[in-house]
Amino acid sequence: MLASLRRRLHEIFVRWALRVRPPEPAPIVLTQRRVYVLPTRAGLAYGAALGVMLLGAMNYNLSLGYALVFLLAGLGIVAILHTFRNLVLLSIRPGRCEPVFAGSVAQFGLLLESQRPDARTSLRLFFDEAVPIEVDIGPHACTATTLGVHAAKRGWLPMPRFTIETTWPLGLIRAWSYAVPELNCLVYPTPAAKAPPLPWSSDSARGSARDGRGADDFSGLRKHQVADAPRHVAWKAVARQQDGPLLTKLFSGAAAQQLWLDWAALPDTIDTEQRLSILARWILDADAAGLAWGLRLPAVRLAPDNGPAQRSAGLHALALYSHGAH
Amino acid sequence: MARTNRPVSRRQAWWLLATALAASLPLAPQVPLWLSLAAGAVFSWRAALTWRQWHLPPRWLLVLLVIAGTVGVFLQYRTTMGRTPGIALLVVFLSLKLLELRAARDAVATALLCYFLVLGQFLFTQTIPTALLACLTVLITTATLLAASDDRPQPLLQLRRAGLMLAQALPFMLLLFLLFPRVQGPLWGIPQDRISAVSGLSDTMSPGSIALLSQSDAIAFRVQFKGTVPPQSELYWRGPVMPSFDGRSWRVRQTLGAYTEVPYSGIGAAVDYEVTLEPHGKFWLFALELPATLPADSALTSDYQPIARQAVRNRMRYAQRAWPEAIAGINEASSILREALALPRDGNPRMRAIAAGWRAQHGDDGAAILATAETFFGQQLLIYTLNPPLLGADIVDEFLFDTKRGFCEHFAAAFVFALRAAGVPARVVAGYQGGEVNPVDGYLVVRQYDAHAWAEAWIAGRGWVRIDPTAISAPSRINSNLASAVPTEEGLPFLARSDLAWLREVRYRLDAVTNGWNQWVLGYNPQRQRDLLAGLGMNEPDWRSMTAVLSVLCGGVMLGLTVWILRNRLRVDPALAAWRRFTARLARRGIVWQPWEGPLAFAERAAGQAPRHAKSIVEIATLYARMRYGPAPQAGDLLQLKQKIAAFHP
Amino acid sequence: MNYNVAQKHIIHQRPGKTPNPMRLPELDAILADINRIILGKDRPIRLSLACLLARGHLLIEDLPGVGKTTLAHVLARVLGLDFQRIQFTSDMLPADIIGVSIFDRESGAFHFHPGPIFTQVVLADEINRATPKAQSALLEAMEERQVTAEGKTRALPEPFFVIATQNPTYQIGTFPLPESQLDRFLLKIELGYPDPAAERELLAGADRRQLVADLVPRITPQRLIELQNTVRAVHASPALIDYVQTLAAYTRAAPRWQEGLSPRACLALLAVARAWALLDGRDHVLPEDVQAVLQGVIAHRLRPTDDDARSHAEAVAAALIEAVPLP
Repeated sequence: MLASLRRRLHEIFVRWALRVRPPEPAPIVLTQRRVYVLPTRAGLAYGAALGVMLLGAMNYNLSLGYALVFLLAGLGIVAILHTFRNLVLLSIRPGRCEPVFAGSVAQFGLLLESQRPDARTSLRLFFDEAVPIEVDIGPHACTATTLGVHAAKRGWLPMPRFTIETTWPLGLIRAWSYAVPELNCLVYPTPAAKAPPLPWSSDSARGSARDGRGADDFSGLRKHQVADAPRHVAWKAVARQQDGPLLTKLFSGAAAQQLWLDWAALPDTIDTEQRLSILARWILDADAAGLAWGLRLPAVRLAPDNGPAQRSAGLHALALYSHGAH
Repeated sequence: MARTNRPVSRRQAWWLLATALAASLPLAPQVPLWLSLAAGAVFSWRAALTWRQWHLPPRWLLVLLVIAGTVGVFLQYRTTMGRTPGIALLVVFLSLKLLELRAARDAVATALLCYFLVLGQFLFTQTIPTALLACLTVLITTATLLAASDDRPQPLLQLRRAGLMLAQALPFMLLLFLLFPRVQGPLWGIPQDRISAVSGLSDTMSPGSIALLSQSDAIAFRVQFKGTVPPQSELYWRGPVMPSFDGRSWRVRQTLGAYTEVPYSGIGAAVDYEVTLEPHGKFWLFALELPATLPADSALTSDYQPIARQAVRNRMRYAQRAWPEAIAGINEASSILREALALPRDGNPRMRAIAAGWRAQHGDDGAAILATAETFFGQQLLIYTLNPPLLGADIVDEFLFDTKRGFCEHFAAAFVFALRAAGVPARVVAGYQGGEVNPVDGYLVVRQYDAHAWAEAWIAGRGWVRIDPTAISAPSRINSNLASAVPTEEGLPFLARSDLAWLREVRYRLDAVTNGWNQWVLGYNPQRQRDLLAGLGMNEPDWRSMTAVLSVLCGGVMLGLTVWILRNRLRVDPALAAWRRFTARLARRGIVWQPWEGPLAFAERAAGQAPRHAKSIVEIATLYARMRYGPAPQAGDLLQLKQKIAAFHP
Repeated sequence: MNYNVAQKHIIHQRPGKTPNPMRLPELDAILADINRIILGKDRPIRLSLACLLARGHLLIEDLPGVGKTTLAHVLARVLGLDFQRIQFTSDMLPADIIGVSIFDRESGAFHFHPGPIFTQVVLADEINRATPKAQSALLEAMEERQVTAEGKTRALPEPFFVIATQNPTYQIGTFPLPESQLDRFLLKIELGYPDPAAERELLAGADRRQLVADLVPRITPQRLIELQNTVRAVHASPALIDYVQTLAAYTRAAPRWQEGLSPRACLALLAVARAWALLDGRDHVLPEDVQAVLQGVIAHRLRPTDDDARSHAEAVAAALIEAVPLP
């Protein structure tokens, strides 16, 4: 009850503190107005200790006691300034964010840029309740860091609000700020653990053509892969270089067999997410085997190809598949 | 706050060990030996644990040790309250806390304990060396606090940063120290161990008691005169007045303050001065005879002796005025006069007989008896010495007629005895006589070896009259100092000697520094604060206005520090600053410089948009580009650039 | 996003308008000579020369027939350098580039026959047609400026300048150069089709081959080496180095690219910018120089994450320039 009230108050404060409607345009500069400063628990203990010491100094009329207490009080004030300065005017830009599969951790890259001539030390960044990441930023430097958040669902995952705080140098004062950079992580569907075998079209029964390429016209050479038919090995080319790798002759032709990963080929009993999972698994399998493949979704068609670009294009399409596209 | 609970690293453990050592080592003389040894053992144990990276002892063992330490302290002092037991307990806790360093929180707690112990040192001593040592301890402790939250390998860097932060805290300290509303302590009862065994005058005087003091060169008080310093022979610092005599010792009367204002009026010139009295644990204050004013919270006894309401346990300062020629006690109460005539029934028959002769000769003429007594003492050829022989039962007779050797208490006691025996009311006054002007700061320093005793006689029509029987036999004691009055072979305190001039010079300087420290740092009390504020134009400041002034000033310092801390320490290239002015001018014309745009590219674009100014735009941009990106800027370049930009009005 | 402003200023700026004491007439003459033969390509020509002056190698990605060979040939001619063209094919072997040792019956010993790489200007045509083995033979020679064959190291001539071309379209049967190898090219440029006016002049004008043959060297190879040393001495102020560093830092963290610029890429950027400044007659580098050569330096080093941007190298460079303010 009390905890939930506290959380709600905190949420109201954060919303007021952020002021801008998230996500914020880059670069996010932590201006004086959005950096908050309060004593930490250690700081409160420090203050209480100073109070007791002051009473002692008064009672025993210790002039040096007064001096000590006042020096330490000044130190506390100076600590406020140093802590505040450690955070203020830091600029945050969204960094890179690699796509991930649902169920894993999305790593949001952040670029922390300091225009100050001296270093910023021990800045902690964290999402609500998460383990903080500590970074230092050198003078006039730019530090890249990543903040991970669990990606539950496929699609675009916007970067949640995060807190950046510091208690440097004395740990007595905490300065903090909130930011919501405009950064989205593409979350692919989780590849199905169990999936039907790759859906070869019925007319590609010949095993030799399983490399997805034709056999008519010689078109070039590439490194031999285990799946290549032995009769396509370019023995002559191999013989010319003593210790080179096996090379496979490549042929192009209209008759080349193509692997189509087709939404419609899956039985109707499988629901959308499950289908997307299976398709994701197929794409990974086909990509791992170095095959060229095409993708057919109700509203998307991806021409057959291979390589990392094809893989990401396919997964991209799966991640953003929406029901409305039916 | 789970984040502050990182485990304490090895490096941090070393830091904490160092700071604990720095904080507790100066207290070693104050705590019992067994505690020092135990704390040393715990420190070594902790060092070994850190060195070997062993596990910390289990919690139950720590609990046991804490209990053992507390019981030990209790058994030592029979209490756990008060100053020394409290400090001892803090040492126990600190050393055991070192064995319990698990999280960063424990590190902070340890650092706070160390700050407490620094304060604890001040309970015992507040000298300059103590302050310097405390500075060092605070520096180390602050560096430890830094290391506790930012665990980095460079100890020197941490110390430097701690030093910088403390230096930045200094202005706050000064302001708070000067302006924070001061309260005169104590806020609650102070356990009586605050002053222990301080040398000084006591409330009784027996043969040898003042001679004992002459062995000490400790400072009794310092005096700053408003005008010129009166001659040495006038400097009688009135202390405890002792009217009652039991045949051997003289005692002060038990009654306390009678007057809140002096019961006599002044004649002649007044002497204004200020006394800084070292704590002596007694009630009396010292004043030049005769006191014309009374310090705050003090009263005057019926013997004209100023006494404070509370025992002098702290160094205190009070302004005073003296009337050296005042006439006091013309209409003295008969009870006091009766007391000033009281003598034990027996003893000292020889003196009594001589005094009876005076009485018979002069009758009630006190002045004549006094003159006779002075003549008599002069004729006895008494010798003033630091090492008087021991006396038997009839101390006056033996001193005057047998040994003839004595210190001031012998002279005063014998003289008063003689007067009383002759029917003249008289009493012994103890105090200090003379003093030494420190040529460095002009303060008159009165030390324990200046302790003295003299006599006071009541003469009808003249009131109480001071007679110094010592001066009769050894006038140089009064006119110059002790050293000139006693034979050189007698063991005088080092400082009392007149030779070794250079050493005295050094000592003068040191003493002046100490005095300055006492006056301005240790003696900064509510009174000093009021005086300072009055000097600043704040008369009768109450705590509200003081708080307001303090807040304003602290705010000002904070603002200054903020500007200093937040200022961009990177000096902006003056050429760049000029360029920004230039682009700002163009921006007003709608030609906006993009922050990524090179100067020449911008110049070309701007020249295209403002063809009339093309020439000057290109000139300025070319000059700026050469200054900012070229190899070696020429001396006149900046001036030229500034002039061109100043003359540029698009 | 609107890249127009940026493009306009990178491509059409003529910082050389203001008189500069450092201006080297010989460089102007060289540029004029090349521009006379390859029409309407002032910028790629300038970049090529800057690349050469910065002691780097040039990668041209373009269609056949836009004048790559002519450019290489003309450069060699005007600078008085030897020139060789190597057509890369899929069956090419390292020995075809470096050379072979042939047993000489008369002397009874192996005799090294240097390959076409032993020349001052090498045009490596369609480099992505060859196998990685052949490619790496060339690329290692480029990097080391020496060749190791049959256990013996032979230095390549000085100056040594490789212009490699590769086909822009992804074709089956090619071996795209790995990124680490691409990094060995200082610059990557595109020639592109000439604009209509230039094309008309080309068609109407004299035979290019004849024009090339008529060219006379403007400088000696020795002078070229001197010029290359001058480039290294061009001043880069701390403010400018800050700028290069900020650009690199931005690419390393911004999500637009898969990886950021390496320190070697930054050095390359600075080197080409120095040469560009010298071509402009300045003894110091301006941010404009960096911006002018940025596209060529990052084109083969930064891979945009966004597929659409791949085809707009210009737009990518402009976006980078606009994102990073001058320090």
